Amino acid sequence: MDVYLSDITKRYGRILANDGVTVALKPGRIHGLLGENGAGKSTLMRVLAGHVACDRGFVEIDGERRERLTPATAMALGLGMLSQDPLDFPPLAVWENFTLGGRPRTARKAKARLIELSGQLGFFFRPDDPVSRLTVAERQQLELTRLIDNDARLLILDEPTTGISPAQKDVLFGILRDFAARDGRIVILVTHKLAEAEELCDEILVMRQGRLVGRFEPPYDAGTLLETMFGPEAAQAAEPEIAGEASVVSAKAPETVRTSEAAPLAELSDAAFSDEKSALPPCTLTIRTGEIIGVAGVAGGGQELFLRGLAGLARVREGEFRLAGMRMRGRGLSAFLRAGAHFLPASRMEEGLFPGLSLADHARLGFPDARGDIRDFFSRRFVDRFHVPNQPSAPALSLSGGNQQRLLLSLIPDSTRLLVAESPTRGLDMASSAQVWEHFRSLAASGATVIFSSEDLDEILARSGRILVFYNRRLAADLPAAGQTVQSLGRHMTGRTIPAVA
Amino acid sequence: MTKPPRALAALGIALAATLGVLVLAQAPPLTTLAVLFGGGIDSGAAWMKTLSAFIPLFLCASALLVTYAAGLWNIGVEGQITMGAIFATGLLRLPDPAAFPPVPALALALAGAFCGGALWALLSGALRVHGRVHELFSGLGLNFAATGVGLWLILGPWKRAGMASLSGTEPLDEAFRLPGFAGKPASMFGVLVAVAAFALVVWLLRRTDWGLKLAAVRQNLKAARLIGLSPGRRMLEAMALCGGLAGLAGGLLVTGLYHRLIPSISGNFGYTAILAVLMVSLAPWAVPLSCLFFAVLLAGAVQLPMALELDSSLSGVIQGVLVLAFLAAGRLGLGARFSGDGS
Repeated sequence: MDVYLSDITKRYGRILANDGVTVALKPGRIHGLLGENGAGKSTLMRVLAGHVACDRGFVEIDGERRERLTPATAMALGLGMLSQDPLDFPPLAVWENFTLGGRPRTARKAKARLIELSGQLGFFFRPDDPVSRLTVAERQQLELTRLIDNDARLLILDEPTTGISPAQKDVLFGILRDFAARDGRIVILVTHKLAEAEELCDEILVMRQGRLVGRFEPPYDAGTLLETMFGPEAAQAAEPEIAGEASVVSAKAPETVRTSEAAPLAELSDAAFSDEKSALPPCTLTIRTGEIIGVAGVAGGGQELFLRGLAGLARVREGEFRLAGMRMRGRGLSAFLRAGAHFLPASRMEEGLFPGLSLADHARLGFPDARGDIRDFFSRRFVDRFHVPNQPSAPALSLSGGNQQRLLLSLIPDSTRLLVAESPTRGLDMASSAQVWEHFRSLAASGATVIFSSEDLDEILARSGRILVFYNRRLAADLPAAGQTVQSLGRHMTGRTIPAVA
Repeated sequence: MTKPPRALAALGIALAATLGVLVLAQAPPLTTLAVLFGGGIDSGAAWMKTLSAFIPLFLCASALLVTYAAGLWNIGVEGQITMGAIFATGLLRLPDPAAFPPVPALALALAGAFCGGALWALLSGALRVHGRVHELFSGLGLNFAATGVGLWLILGPWKRAGMASLSGTEPLDEAFRLPGFAGKPASMFGVLVAVAAFALVVWLLRRTDWGLKLAAVRQNLKAARLIGLSPGRRMLEAMALCGGLAGLAGGLLVTGLYHRLIPSISGNFGYTAILAVLMVSLAPWAVPLSCLFFAVLLAGAVQLPMALELDSSLSGVIQGVLVLAFLAAGRLGLGARFSGDGS
């Protein structure tokens, strides 16, 4: 299969997402598409998969020019895209999801085909289970099976390793290699993780500010790749973080508190959290002041509910949970806020901000007791201290991801004692991530406890003094960060805790 | 609704659609429109009729601005009007008109009407906040329940001496009626109440922290919870204020217009108020105009049977077509195209 993208240009309002991108994709190869947030990777891939129409340019497939691709025509041509969040229908059964959008066939034939194909790929599904019962990795595998069943000859994977374990990643990469090796098919891996691209790809394309700025073949030089992605200066500053070598520089900071001596802040004794959908078994744990605790687990591993429970967003079903000396069982969110808990959600706009309200209104809502003119207060705290854009009357909707997180950071009260942060740097560029961590460290230094989750094990290793690992909806390990590796965490995340005896 | 020319163009399209409907209904289109719009403004008496409809409409529309500000679809306004009317009637039945001073009696009755409406709205609100029943369903159900309670009272415990009649309860004593205006029995006191309520609502929504909190609840319920705004309590407050004002409208209908409890006393004012507020996309400054527009139509509709021997229900059809065409023209940008100020 030959695919040629010519002069693809796409504008969203004032933002030029793709600026005349021309690239030929060669059969039989795995292409990596790298770039920082907002570089235009996803837009380019959506154009190719027919999800958005470009303003200028065209796609040529096997020598034939296509100007108006729709998702249906793209699929008919064999272009399949695996989105970052699987595009499936959780209440429907596995086989129904498998056959939806494909050719019409009976339930029996669809199930038989699903079993046959997933067997070939090395997956295992129960066709009648609802998709909502699957893990993120399994949903991804189902989507992959469906695309291959639809005779996809080009696979686009957008950040496919988010939320799956290192071992599941290895399985996925094996399948992608097999897929590309046969009949001249093509794989495009969209990622911001350099190490993965280096491991898997036959060729790496780098995008920056809407343009294709570099094309590399192995052996890759990490320094050059970074410089192409970020520009020379930023790359130097960020090299260790981006290259996944953060654990080496390990800012296991000077302010690390000797945890056994610090006063306990939160004490769980056989405490079990529940929400409407799920429940965790009881666990016992002491969290001390000044700690920075990283929480790891594959998506759906139970860490999500655990964090929400700590912040007062889930019910304490049984056992005892003391926060700052107070018994929290049966108490509402307002009691948790009074005790100094604060929750920073991963979906910032959906759960943390008010899209249509102005930045100054956010300041008024977050600090109702602020004296004097709200604009003065806004410029002192939000702009000078947290670098939120100085546009008090702009709606939150207009903020970029990094600025959304800056706004959320400025809304964390200074008196916070327990900050619970859900994937605080997800989707952020380096400068924004650095600011998040600078603020977290200063909070911890002033005696607050920070507990955060992350899909990036390197980040957890680099930033925390203590690591909690969840597996299969229970706390599987509580470890000091020192001495841990991505591999050891990966084993805990997947329940293989018995160390391999060498 | 961004610029007057655009709104006017949309109105023009709406009128054209209405004319089409009239032709289909085999009514003389222009004469019918003249009666509909002229019937409410062509004399002093007509203006009194128009204002009598304007009072409950404007009160309910102001009330709805509060619940819409919090993102709530309070379609239970009808039932809240009815409950207000029931509470007011009930309270005025208690004291002896000869012995009790009328001003405190009327004040108490109107306060009771406010409480009755607020109570009915709080039921709906509590079901939403604590029972996860959407206010659309509970509002609709409670509307039926309120009508039922009203009918039961009229035909049962509060029936007129010697006969139960659908014409309503025993009329209020003269002393317990709001004073009439210009020699007519209908009172215009409610216009003052409605204007004051509107001003209060706009001030609350635009100038106070409470108004900002309601906006935050509408924008993002989850974020409002995280930041400690107690969105459930804010929604209940909004429901209570909205229901209270609707109840007040019911109280004014009893004490100022009908002077007794009649079946279906809410007279679709609640539903019409929803239309009036939606037609101007919740823009507060335009709400009085839109309420006046509907009040004129309602008063004009009464003239249809007399002037043209058309059934007055045709007016309902015309209202619906007008609003739909107006909204569609505005939303689809048709108005912009016709007035030439498209973006």
